[in-house]
Amino acid sequence: MTSTTTELKVSAFLAYKFIAKGNRGTTLLTILIMALAFVNLMFTTSVFDGMGDATENQVIDTLYSNIVIEPKDEEIYINNPDSVVKKIINVPGVIGTSAQYVTGATIAYEEKSGAWNIRAVDPDDERMVSLVPDMMIEGEYLSKYDRREIIIGKEIAGGHGGSLEHTSLGGVVVGDTVEVAFTNGVRREYRVKGIFDTNFLQSNQMAYITKKEMESVLGIHDMASQILVKTDTKGDEGRFLNQFVELGVHEDIKPWPVYAGIVATLTKSFDALNALTGAIGFFVAGVTIFIVIYVSTVSKRRQMGILRAIGIKESIIVRSYIFQAVFYAVCGCIAGLVIMFAILVPHFIKHPMVFPMGNVTLLIEQKAAIMRSAGLIISAAIAGFLPSWRAVRETILDAIWGD
Amino acid sequence: MMERTERVEQVERDEQDTIIATRNLSRTYTMGKMQMTALNRVTLDIRRGEFAAIMGKSGSGKSTLLHQLGLLDTPTEGEIVIDEVEISGLSESEKTMFRLEKFGYVFQEYAILPEMTALENVYLPAMALGLSRDEYVTKGMDALEKVGLAERADHRPREMSGGEQQRVAIARALINKPKILFADEPTANLDSVSSRQILELFRALNRDIGQTILMVTHELEDADIVDRVIWLADGEVVDREG
Repeated sequence: MTSTTTELKVSAFLAYKFIAKGNRGTTLLTILIMALAFVNLMFTTSVFDGMGDATENQVIDTLYSNIVIEPKDEEIYINNPDSVVKKIINVPGVIGTSAQYVTGATIAYEEKSGAWNIRAVDPDDERMVSLVPDMMIEGEYLSKYDRREIIIGKEIAGGHGGSLEHTSLGGVVVGDTVEVAFTNGVRREYRVKGIFDTNFLQSNQMAYITKKEMESVLGIHDMASQILVKTDTKGDEGRFLNQFVELGVHEDIKPWPVYAGIVATLTKSFDALNALTGAIGFFVAGVTIFIVIYVSTVSKRRQMGILRAIGIKESIIVRSYIFQAVFYAVCGCIAGLVIMFAILVPHFIKHPMVFPMGNVTLLIEQKAAIMRSAGLIISAAIAGFLPSWRAVRETILDAIWGD
Repeated sequence: MMERTERVEQVERDEQDTIIATRNLSRTYTMGKMQMTALNRVTLDIRRGEFAAIMGKSGSGKSTLLHQLGLLDTPTEGEIVIDEVEISGLSESEKTMFRLEKFGYVFQEYAILPEMTALENVYLPAMALGLSRDEYVTKGMDALEKVGLAERADHRPREMSGGEQQRVAIARALINKPKILFADEPTANLDSVSSRQILELFRALNRDIGQTILMVTHELEDADIVDRVIWLADGEVVDREG
């Protein structure tokens, strides 16, 4: 047996004995503290990841779907969008498409008015790419042949406890008539057919009319400002872009993240917060382990002296304390994951947190869990090393017979 | 000429027979601005297979001498040669290995680990030497057998009397077949019956397997059981305690 293997074996043996036959209360308490430290590390990350995920889903489900096809730079509209749709609709993984017009407009109701984006859609197509049709809180969604009817988000309508009540129309209800002034100067009155709430600030500031209605306003036909494409998976949009180009789509094709500036901003801010809370969490966990191991080395000072006297190498003793610390940390991580998955995640699925980007539940990403577990274990190893290394620095005689 | 050759051979035999040799060994402690000499130019030889006791009054330097010879402390001056190795040339890690391979220790307190069974306490040094599990368990049981505690192998220290714990410590000291067994007042904390058992055990080990034993003791009657007494007074070797 090599000396390194022997040393590891003796270190592990000592660590096992100190843990298994030591004070059980201390062991359990230390593991509990480690578990709470791990939960503390994971919880904030999971909330931030959950917020990021919720925001991404909202961007996809209520604003841009997975892929957006836009006119080339010099064009305003896509001509004959049906021909584009025909090229891509049979690509495996494409679930639906919605060619739509997008324009700015001023919507007025009684004394109040504001500028918002209006999208003009084919309601049947829109149901394939967006969840807005399922999020009506008053009235109902558009029908294919609706004219002079509009549906608006709750931040436009007002009176539904939105975040932007002061800029809203102040309490429009289904059946009310609003006046819409389009950018080309056309003004029309519309009956409010429905009000929707997506739980997402940005999409709640949208209004929808039918495509036919918009074409009559703009005086154009068979065109589109954009085509939204729904795919079966999120995060895999890149592979469709090349396929679409190969199939002869010459317009600009962009995946949803291009439009999700808010997600990037959030992620950046969350990363900074995560780094801060993570550093504090690691430090707290490290200090906890340090104190536990320090107390242990103080109480076992004489024992460590005796071990050294009988020829047990200092490195073996130090390593045995590192092993103990790592054991506490590994058990803490496992217990922490159990707490997260068995208690906290189900709780927040039942009672999600409400944020401007929607309902947020905890999202435990494998990478984050691995990184934090590794961080905690490394912190523990360092915290186990320092006091034991310090303890074996003193002379054998001081360790055994010192004050 | 013939006589001279015989004398040289005798000296060489004596040298080979000597397992510990010190020359002018001194140990001075600094306490604040004061210097305290615990050992003063001690020169002595211990033969292989000898059972020697270091005796003297409190503060005479008995334990200090044992600590220097047992490599638990470093002398201020002088030379120690153990088993033909000049100790001052060894690094700390070499001293650790030297202790593991060549020494056995029995301390005044029952210096065994409370978390381990008697057998585990005993085989720990053999495990650290890199023996296989079968080897160190067998050797551990043999050592416990020698001290009469084989049937207590799975007991933890708190389940054993002071005398039994000290015998476990002796078994641990013996497991690597040490060249020298150091014992620092091994009976000081024991009742008279247990003390006698320990001393008889030492005597038997010395007699049966030729174990070299160097023991510090303050009990005058222990002088009767050993081969030789090294008397110390004020850190110096003297002919006999005054």
